[in-house]
Amino acid sequence: MTTITLVVLAVALSAVAGGFAYFLPAAATALQETGQAVTIASPSPASILFSPSPSPSSIAVSQGAFTVLLLGSDDDSKFSADHVLTQSMILVRVIPATKEVTMLSIPRDLYVHLSTGGFGKIDGAYSYGAAGAAIATVEQDFGVHVDDYIWVGLLGLIKVIDAIGGIDIVTSNPVMDDYYPSDIYGNSPYDYQRVAVLAGPQHLDGIHAMEYVRSRHSDLQSDYGRSKRQQQVLQAIRAKAKQLHPSDVPALATAIGGELKTSIGLDKVAQLVPLAASFDNPDAIRQVLLLPPYARSGAPDGSLTPNWGLILPLVHQYFP
Amino acid sequence: MISKVLLALGLAVLMAVTGVASYVYLGSRQSKVVAPAQKPTASTPLAQAFTLPGTIYLEQAGALYSFSAGRFHQLTPEVGWTQPALYPDGSHLLAVKRSGFYSDVFVLTPYGGVTAQLTNNAASPRNAWDTGANAWSFYPRLSADQRTLWMSYDGPKYVGANYFDVDMAVWAVPVGAPIRSGKAWTVANNYTGGDMQPVPVPGGIIYTKYTYDENGNRTGQLWFTNRAGSAGHALTSTGAGCLQPAISPDGGRIAMICTYQKQVSYLEIATWNGSGLGALQILISDQIVAEPIWAPDGSGIAYLAPGGPAAPFQLWFLPKNAYAPPPASPIPTPSPTPGGPHNGPLPSPTTSPAPVAPIVKPIQVTTNLGFDATSPLAWLG
Repeated sequence: MTTITLVVLAVALSAVAGGFAYFLPAAATALQETGQAVTIASPSPASILFSPSPSPSSIAVSQGAFTVLLLGSDDDSKFSADHVLTQSMILVRVIPATKEVTMLSIPRDLYVHLSTGGFGKIDGAYSYGAAGAAIATVEQDFGVHVDDYIWVGLLGLIKVIDAIGGIDIVTSNPVMDDYYPSDIYGNSPYDYQRVAVLAGPQHLDGIHAMEYVRSRHSDLQSDYGRSKRQQQVLQAIRAKAKQLHPSDVPALATAIGGELKTSIGLDKVAQLVPLAASFDNPDAIRQVLLLPPYARSGAPDGSLTPNWGLILPLVHQYFP
Repeated sequence: MISKVLLALGLAVLMAVTGVASYVYLGSRQSKVVAPAQKPTASTPLAQAFTLPGTIYLEQAGALYSFSAGRFHQLTPEVGWTQPALYPDGSHLLAVKRSGFYSDVFVLTPYGGVTAQLTNNAASPRNAWDTGANAWSFYPRLSADQRTLWMSYDGPKYVGANYFDVDMAVWAVPVGAPIRSGKAWTVANNYTGGDMQPVPVPGGIIYTKYTYDENGNRTGQLWFTNRAGSAGHALTSTGAGCLQPAISPDGGRIAMICTYQKQVSYLEIATWNGSGLGALQILISDQIVAEPIWAPDGSGIAYLAPGGPAAPFQLWFLPKNAYAPPPASPIPTPSPTPGGPHNGPLPSPTTSPAPVAPIVKPIQVTTNLGFDATSPLAWLG
């Protein structure tokens, strides 16, 4: 009897070991890239442009709501590691109880008071102090509380989309760009290439999805237009991710290894996966862009002047 | 003692097999969504017997394929071929070959052999440093007399380097003549991507014009123009976001894709009277659908749509009965015969229930291919 028990136990153990070996790369990547520590420097009182809303974290806790700052960077060889610009900054507010999601795209050229001191384009905050500086800058200028961040590099986005088998998207217009940076697979990060992403419903692989969200030269709305496209792609990734099986995780983790960082811990990731799957109404995702008159051109170095008088009430409406 | 060694050895083997089996089993459970698409020639199009009439030409992964009698044939290697279009007499194909910086229009035999290059859009060596000195040609079509090449084209640009606006216009070029012999028929809106998908019709062309609507959103709109240099007039509203027009074999209807500025699309048709469209009729709604093409024999419309949620596009066919059901056959209503054998009061006639038209569903023709839906289909009868 004891022998049989031992044999059964040994077989069960070896089955678990096989599963462990299967998920080991994913676990290693997850441990390495999730739960990143964030150091947020306390801004000096003088640098705070307004009073943040009272105890935002308590509101978040009471409703289970949370706010994540999505950061996307050019991380090609023009930049040294972790001194990159965040060309995409999207503040996402999730209220699980009501299944509401709000995505606020922050113009990368917004001229703001940086948490590390001085004024500059908001996309530079990360380059001066990594995620902590980017979060602190957003928190102090917009008066919001950021619970976590997710950073992804250019190559990371391409790899994520390829790893999930591409995305289906409706591109609203042809995206034509004669001066698209040839910095991912080109010989020199300062070269240009031509891109032509044709319009209509289509299936995009990673490289073409990147061209679609990154190009801005042929868009009268420049960075605003790009923000719209970024939100479309994020929604398409979410739709595709819902179709994945846990067995896909190791391949996914291998693909994005080193191209994604987040402060979200593994335990919270486990909670978020079923939560994300339960959001089945894309129309319930509110998209907010800071178009003029919320921001206007004319600030130094081609940056945008924020109209805080309009921005802050709007932001606090959705990010209390 | 020996039996214990054998037992231990057997257990070790069993554990190894179990561990490997567990690993392999988990690997086999990966979802189909990340599985690479099959080449059309490697797949069986459909489990049940269903054959579309004629030959459809289509593109996957930079190669052109023909599809006839339920079989795919690869016509070209995977080197950037896309957007096949038929000669009106069906003798040849036009197709675009995309390179990194430019694309050109070629004439091919129905079997994929290149017989002529109609455009030369690569920058000349003296200004090869300027990316904008290259040009794109997309969506080629021939006029009914096969003498004029219609296409979307983004050159020439006279403003030189560092000019960011790249807008396609609809051009007409005599077949075989250089681009300087051609003429821009439309004037594209700046910074929109321009005018695309020309469809020659008697008296002019229908095309997709991209524009900014009153809210600043870029959207597609079908237009018709009958003379060079004139935008013509809009056929659909900016709100409908329509694109990819396809004219029916009898010339009386237009199929199109409309997006209503959403992340879904609709297959719609409308009557065409030579200058305007009738009311739009939605055939496929609330999913993603693209690139409609009419069957040459009028039996239905083929299109591309994902085979499953967020999956690569497959070939679908919507039979004609879905949008033009045959007229219901009159049902004879028994009428009482005055003076007949019935001797009482005449029964009041009862209304027969109207016959319910069967719901005609689209037929999925392929299941595991990987169309990206950026290339129109061409269908030879």
